[in-house]
Amino acid sequence: MTSASSTTTQTFTAKVATPTTRLVGAMAIVSMAWVVLGGLFVTPSDVNQGDAVRIMYVHVPTAWVAYLAFIVTAIASACWLLSRKHAMGFDRVAGASAEVGVIFMAMTLLSGGLWGRITWGTYWAWDPRLTTTAFLLVTYIGYLAVRGLGGSLEQRARRSAVIALLAVLEIPLVHFSVLMWRSLHQRASVLSGDGDIKMDGSMLTTLLVGVIGFTCTFAWLVMHRSRVLAMQDAVQSSQLDAALQDRASESAGLK
Amino acid sequence: MAVLVTIVLAGGTIVTKFLTSAIDYYCNVDEIGLRAGCEAGRRIRVQGTVEKNSLTAVNNSTNFVLIFNEKTIRVVYEGDPGGIFQECIPVVAQGRLVGDVFEATRIEVKHSNAYVADNADRLTKAEAQECSPQAG
Repeated sequence: MTSASSTTTQTFTAKVATPTTRLVGAMAIVSMAWVVLGGLFVTPSDVNQGDAVRIMYVHVPTAWVAYLAFIVTAIASACWLLSRKHAMGFDRVAGASAEVGVIFMAMTLLSGGLWGRITWGTYWAWDPRLTTTAFLLVTYIGYLAVRGLGGSLEQRARRSAVIALLAVLEIPLVHFSVLMWRSLHQRASVLSGDGDIKMDGSMLTTLLVGVIGFTCTFAWLVMHRSRVLAMQDAVQSSQLDAALQDRASESAGLK
Repeated sequence: MAVLVTIVLAGGTIVTKFLTSAIDYYCNVDEIGLRAGCEAGRRIRVQGTVEKNSLTAVNNSTNFVLIFNEKTIRVVYEGDPGGIFQECIPVVAQGRLVGDVFEATRIEVKHSNAYVADNADRLTKAEAQECSPQAG
């Protein structure tokens, strides 16, 4: 069993870094460097918020990319459910994307808390946007916990796919909560729907580069994490095969 | 299983806190005593703009007038509200109306969704800083 799993691991290790991941990684580094320089030194401070506005260059992109991650999880889950062969690659992308999404959503809440302390005067308020965002985070932590419950790979994929397709419905609730209810959180500045972007030009440019940077980081992390999950699944399958073989041998010995 | 139970409890706590905070986070100044949930005698959150030239600090007390839809209310808060609290900015004050004074125990600043450069031209900057009693 040991030799079988190590052979499998070596095969996967050779495939971890590819030209695509290197390109995406390089794009992430360049755009993130732009965001750091632009966010800290090039863009102006805000007339009301002062330098606190610079937190926006992390807060907003991480929120958008967390939404993207959970949507990718839902799409990959739907692909797994709908595909005839139930290719496990879809399930691994779903799991990897949810993991990265949870990290980004936690970053959103953390940076939002710091921003809120400086501008609102409080780290946290039980307002609709903050509460629904916290609930979304807890939902996806639950999704990851369900993935770790055990059972076969197919069982894991099926139950987590169903949860992913339900959980993604929370995203419109989070995004539109500031329009549906009165909220301490401000309304959207860029995705406001009326086409009027209420933001200084260099601030908007840095914000959009931040979105590209965090999206590339997300893609890079998901590609690598999916491959690591593939290795874990291969090890789990080989262990299962070995256990079945041992059991078969025992049964044969008894006869 | 313990992890799942913890997560379910966390989700339940969030929903409970949200519902007890009321789905609408605040009442506007002109709704006090008129709208359900905004009764004068109960603990409420009130939203309005800090009226220009109304802000005073006496000892440790911050006094100001909140305005919304031309309706005003005097607010007293013990301490420094913090954040970017200033005149002409929308805030949410949490507390209770005692007589004709709103005794606030918590002040939250509600900044707008407009981001204007501090070095913008004077007209743009003035527009961003002007009092907007309809905020919210």
